[in-house]
Amino acid sequence: MNLAALADSLGLENLTPEINLGQSSEITHGYASDLLSDVLAHAPRGGVLVTVQVHLNVIAVSVHADLAAVIFALGREPDSATREKAAEEGICLLASKAPAFEIVGKLYEMGLRGNKA
Amino acid sequence: MRPMAADLHVHTALSPCADDDMTPQAIVMAAIAAEIDIIAVCDHNSAENTGAVQEAARSFAGDLFGVIAGMEITTAEEAHIVALFPDVESAMNASDEVACHLPEGLTGVRKYGNQYVMDATGEVIREVDALLSWASDLTVSQTVTLIHKHGGLAVAAHVDRPSFSIISQLGFMPEDAEFDAVEISAAGAKDGRATEFEALGYPIIVASDAHFPDNIGDGKALFHIDSPVFSEVALAFKGVGNRSIQLA
Repeated sequence: MNLAALADSLGLENLTPEINLGQSSEITHGYASDLLSDVLAHAPRGGVLVTVQVHLNVIAVSVHADLAAVIFALGREPDSATREKAAEEGICLLASKAPAFEIVGKLYEMGLRGNKA
Repeated sequence: MRPMAADLHVHTALSPCADDDMTPQAIVMAAIAAEIDIIAVCDHNSAENTGAVQEAARSFAGDLFGVIAGMEITTAEEAHIVALFPDVESAMNASDEVACHLPEGLTGVRKYGNQYVMDATGEVIREVDALLSWASDLTVSQTVTLIHKHGGLAVAAHVDRPSFSIISQLGFMPEDAEFDAVEISAAGAKDGRATEFEALGYPIIVASDAHFPDNIGDGKALFHIDSPVFSEVALAFKGVGNRSIQLA
């Protein structure tokens, strides 16, 4: 499943319209955490991150961890500087009003997994 | 100029997690017994006991022992930032401003511990009902700006620790906040971890983050300064006039 299909089935808003979701690669893995040190250490490459952490550093961490997209839960939205940086770095930002638990549950149902090992 | 031992992160009985025996007198006596020359009083999100500790210090030791009025602010990202202010008045102004950014409705949470505002003798003047250690809605960058606006210094607290530190919460030091120094915990310093953070390019201090009298001085830095006061500490952070900071 690519990001367009994923965003569509979860009803996610694309905060980085500069990025064409339809052109994303297949998403097979994800991670959920609000501690960016933890994301750096443990997020699977090419995956999506579910978080309520909206600090600008989430973008640099996503680049380091080679993530495809960040899903902000609970209606949390980053500021414009963070959105611009994400678009520049090719990290897709998606937003949901649902709590992280609900989002992760749906992603798991759709076949995404937490660990490549 | 002479070396002065500084423990710039000490809680009082106002912090819910700190011992009720952290009275102004007990703190000053424990610090002097630990051969500390200057401390900073840094309760969670409040500076209300800073004046009392300064008064206790003056009556015990006059100008020989210094007490900086500070605070440990919890940011929206749940990172702790130690704020050091020039005097009690500016600390209280910052404290009042932070109070407007704490969550409402978290009152009566006594199970987290007592929050005593005390006078210099340790008499309880009143108890703070709203939980002080909760996260404010100020971001890291807004918190550092607030501290600087009130003439203070912003120190990233216990950056070596896996919880409530800038690095645990944000992965690395953010570019949108100009810190004046970073603090290593007493445990981290004992494990020789201070050198890991030299590459960050900030002045490094070690502090105890003491919540009990016996822990005051467990973490300290040697400041080569003229006198144990805020302005000298501020100059040492900038390395002005041969002032320096040395880790034991």
